[in-house]
Amino acid sequence: MIEVKNAVKTFEGFRALDGADITVPDGGVYGLVGPNGAGKSTVIRHITGIYRPDSGEVLVEGEPVYENPAQKALLAAIPDDWYYFQSATVADMMRFYRGFYPAFDTARYERFKEVFAIPEKAVIRRLSKGMQKQAAFWLTMCCRPRYLILDEPVDGLDPVMRRQVWSIMMSDVAEHGTTVLVSSHNLRELEDVCDHVGIMNKGKVLIERSLNDLQENIVKLQAVWKPGEAPVLPKELEVLHISHVGRVYTYIVRGKAAEVTARLEPCGPLMLEALPLSLEEIFIYELGGEHYAVKEIIL
Amino acid sequence: MLTLNYRDSEPIYGQIKNGLKKLIVTGALAPGEKLPSVRSMAASLAINPNTIQRAYTELESDGFIHSIPGKGSFAGRRQDEADQDALRLEALLEKLRELVAELRYLNVTTAELMAVVEGGLNQ
Repeated sequence: MIEVKNAVKTFEGFRALDGADITVPDGGVYGLVGPNGAGKSTVIRHITGIYRPDSGEVLVEGEPVYENPAQKALLAAIPDDWYYFQSATVADMMRFYRGFYPAFDTARYERFKEVFAIPEKAVIRRLSKGMQKQAAFWLTMCCRPRYLILDEPVDGLDPVMRRQVWSIMMSDVAEHGTTVLVSSHNLRELEDVCDHVGIMNKGKVLIERSLNDLQENIVKLQAVWKPGEAPVLPKELEVLHISHVGRVYTYIVRGKAAEVTARLEPCGPLMLEALPLSLEEIFIYELGGEHYAVKEIIL
Repeated sequence: MLTLNYRDSEPIYGQIKNGLKKLIVTGALAPGEKLPSVRSMAASLAINPNTIQRAYTELESDGFIHSIPGKGSFAGRRQDEADQDALRLEALLEKLRELVAELRYLNVTTAELMAVVEGGLNQ
């Protein structure tokens, strides 16, 4: 389990983390999402033991991770700016990784030569951005970590490669119970792979829940009312958003689909339909309440 | 084996559940046939294994599949459950035969008996 408890980190007066709390359960895939500058990468650098929090705790399996080689050995990470030596080839970096990770799986490294079509002798610096990312995955997945920490991992990968790396990671999750923490803006993709989601904003974690919970407790309703009838919704409903096109009203309401529908039926709609929300929609509406929304600017 | 529609409003676990149910009901997956493991399904569809596990668990509680620890999941009900169903069916038919014999003894006509049976069937 990875736990971040009330972590605060200040950079020259700017509170990058402002009491962040994160719990990543074992064997799960945790998606960390949030607007730019929310503190996702800062949290990840704390979890990988690069930063020391000003206050609060960052624990891996109950032990602080900062300056703690035993806990760091359990983790492998792909940061958004992957580091490699200036003139190193993939094979050189493999020897470097193998030196740090006693469990480095050389047999797997050999098998992955077919998966990642990168010449082992190629100088990493000369590879394209996407191929460098592939090289990072190649080496990191061979470390056989208990915790895999990924910051914007599939950024720059082509669609086939994205699926390929997710497929490898998901089979590791199923077979070895690997725990994955992943930050990404690709919510469509996260929806397939995550079972837990944390939404960050301004250095805090606003919501942290299982994806099922999140999707079952917010619902999109489409309703059509009789002409000329101004719909008044029951007060006890927590409505996050209302919009309408003609007579078709769309409501975003907190609660279970069945309960919310039962509450609205007595109001006599001509048509009422409950639809599940995508993670992308949940993200937009949850952050909308935090004064972070798409501004309608016409240029 | 399954195709997921990412534009569908149906959640992914529901799509997997319904997709497998359809394959079983149509006989594309014969009773006793082995389903892909959670791991291989997670890898081939590139989705979270817990999602697949959830679909499998619900299919099992609905009686569409059964799992044998250490072996995997299989289409249809467990063999011993199916055997039990057969035994129960035989027991019920035997009971019916006894009832018919008893009613016969009480001079109930075939037409009256058939009317009762038909009435029960039409209910």
